[in-house]
Amino acid sequence: MFDLIEPIVFAILAVGIVGAAAAVVLIDRITSAALLMAFTFLCVAGMFLLLGAEAVALFQVLIYVGAITVLILYGVMFTPQRHRAYALFFQKQTPLAGVVVALIALPVLVFSFSFKDAPDLQPRGGDLIPLATSLFGDYAFPFEVASVLLLAAMVGAIVLVRRDEDEELP
Amino acid sequence: MHVPLGAYLVISSALFFIGVAGVLTRRNAVVILMCVELMLNAANLALVAFSRRFGAIDQRGSVFVVFVFVIAAAEVAVGLAIVLSAYRNRPTVDVDEVRALKG
Amino acid sequence: MAVGPFGIDPVIWAVLRLLIALVLAVLLVLNGALLQIYLERKVQAIIQDRYGPLHVGPFGLLQTFADALKLLGKEDVRARLTDSAFFIAAPAIVFAPMLASFVVLPFSKDFTGMDRNIGLLYLTTLGSMTVLGIVIAGWASNNKYSLIGGLRSAGQLISYEVPQILALVTVVLAVGSMSMVAITESQPGPLVNVLVLPLAFVTYFIAALAETNRAPFDLPEAESELVAGFLTEYSGMRWGVFFLAEYGEVTVVCAIMTTLWFGGWHGPGVDAVPALGILWFTLKTYAFVIAFMWIRATLPRLRIDQLMGFCWKVLIPIALTNILATAVLLLAYPGQLWPVAIVNWLGVAFLVFGLPFMQKRRLGRFRGRVRAATLA
Repeated sequence: MFDLIEPIVFAILAVGIVGAAAAVVLIDRITSAALLMAFTFLCVAGMFLLLGAEAVALFQVLIYVGAITVLILYGVMFTPQRHRAYALFFQKQTPLAGVVVALIALPVLVFSFSFKDAPDLQPRGGDLIPLATSLFGDYAFPFEVASVLLLAAMVGAIVLVRRDEDEELP
Repeated sequence: MHVPLGAYLVISSALFFIGVAGVLTRRNAVVILMCVELMLNAANLALVAFSRRFGAIDQRGSVFVVFVFVIAAAEVAVGLAIVLSAYRNRPTVDVDEVRALKG
Repeated sequence: MAVGPFGIDPVIWAVLRLLIALVLAVLLVLNGALLQIYLERKVQAIIQDRYGPLHVGPFGLLQTFADALKLLGKEDVRARLTDSAFFIAAPAIVFAPMLASFVVLPFSKDFTGMDRNIGLLYLTTLGSMTVLGIVIAGWASNNKYSLIGGLRSAGQLISYEVPQILALVTVVLAVGSMSMVAITESQPGPLVNVLVLPLAFVTYFIAALAETNRAPFDLPEAESELVAGFLTEYSGMRWGVFFLAEYGEVTVVCAIMTTLWFGGWHGPGVDAVPALGILWFTLKTYAFVIAFMWIRATLPRLRIDQLMGFCWKVLIPIALTNILATAVLLLAYPGQLWPVAIVNWLGVAFLVFGLPFMQKRRLGRFRGRVRAATLA
């Protein structure tokens, strides 16, 4: 009976991911889109848990739900939302686009299922210690570069949104 | 029973293509940012799936996921800053209407 | 086939254990909130030389029950233009992560819902999810006070999360584990972590006050400027759920402080009777809860610019320096904690004596300039 838990949880999460992501693209109300995006992130974190990557799942929730979604909600609140949402959808090109998507998706599908699962080399324990060991060992230099990138992004964002002193408020 | 690697990859690619469709069809800059995040997440899912199921001895895939997190955070911060400053120059967040290179 | 405790299949046992932990967490949160509201009123009353609740039950003990019943019986009022789905979802989004974080709290050695090596990371992650619910509550209320309160709160929570996590990193560096049980077990004797890492504790304590929206950092619900912040449009049990979440959050941060710096369940007589650990853990946690109330009754509220300035200009630099110093000293003197302790106590001395002095001199210079300008 416990054999079936993993596929069932996977199926629920898969429906959550695909459904919520499709709704992000299709839905008109942008605040709902932002929340559905957060839901997609949570489902992806659930998939990480299913794969046994606990630490990555927690980082995913911490960064995507706790920080990025809130930032995007800020963006939503500071900009006006007008209802001219779509450019291409449901126009003449839609059937053509469907054909193109099918042409791309088919090889991807075949390619995806051509991978054979390796026998479980991983112990099903936590991934925190191996992750930290390789992050601060082999990948220490990229890690430092990433921190510089974050610093640059922070300074850049502050410079971009800062108002000049003499500029009057709109 | 383990879920096969292929199933994770299918979900990952579906998420990626949904993100692509969003970037191509939606015109609101904030929604485009959201769809880019979805695409990055699809990549993360594929990386973790490979790392856990394809017999990688160490955590290379997961390490790259951590880097993707960093990039995503930086991208959202700078992207939103650009959207807000563009909005301040001309009151629109519609990417079709932001064409002029000179404010 | 492996057999778990009580002869139960280990898989079922794992699920059962989690369920028991969750049920206990719900009971703890509900009873804890009732007790904390009573304590809050009594403690503040004692500090302000009043009586506090007296009439319902002995010593007014049943007053909070009466209030809770009143909240449950209230009409569910919702303004016409609120964004109803989000308005209903927001209290749940704030409440659920708080409830889930009780699962990893180590009440005693054998009384922990889940002991993984990521316990601390799990707690931080769930703590960060609260922001989302508060922003949504502010947005969905369709009220300018709510919106400003929600945005302020989000800014505050995101900012103060940084020193909070950085303070935790210092302890993790010194102990070498993120599991709550392992951290508790690393400090069995009288030498608890607060004697070794007091600076991290002070940073965490201040950041935790801000993170749980407690005075003097309760700006998101500053009555005098924002009515009630993001809570303005909420009433009845939805408001009650926000309050349960707030008190639960206070319990969680106090439990984290107990575990990380004050030895968790360790105390006299625990080796003989392990169940005594639950009592010690709860007593220590509630000591911090009462300290929070004491601070609320004695300190005035900060201004928003002071709040953000204090976080970014004081707490974060101190926490970052502390991490650097701790890491370097642990590498230089492996296995020895006294260099770290000395540096940490020096840091506390600077925070307590140096900073106010510097601030006073700055203020004095500023006042002198103002006086010169008015005289001229």
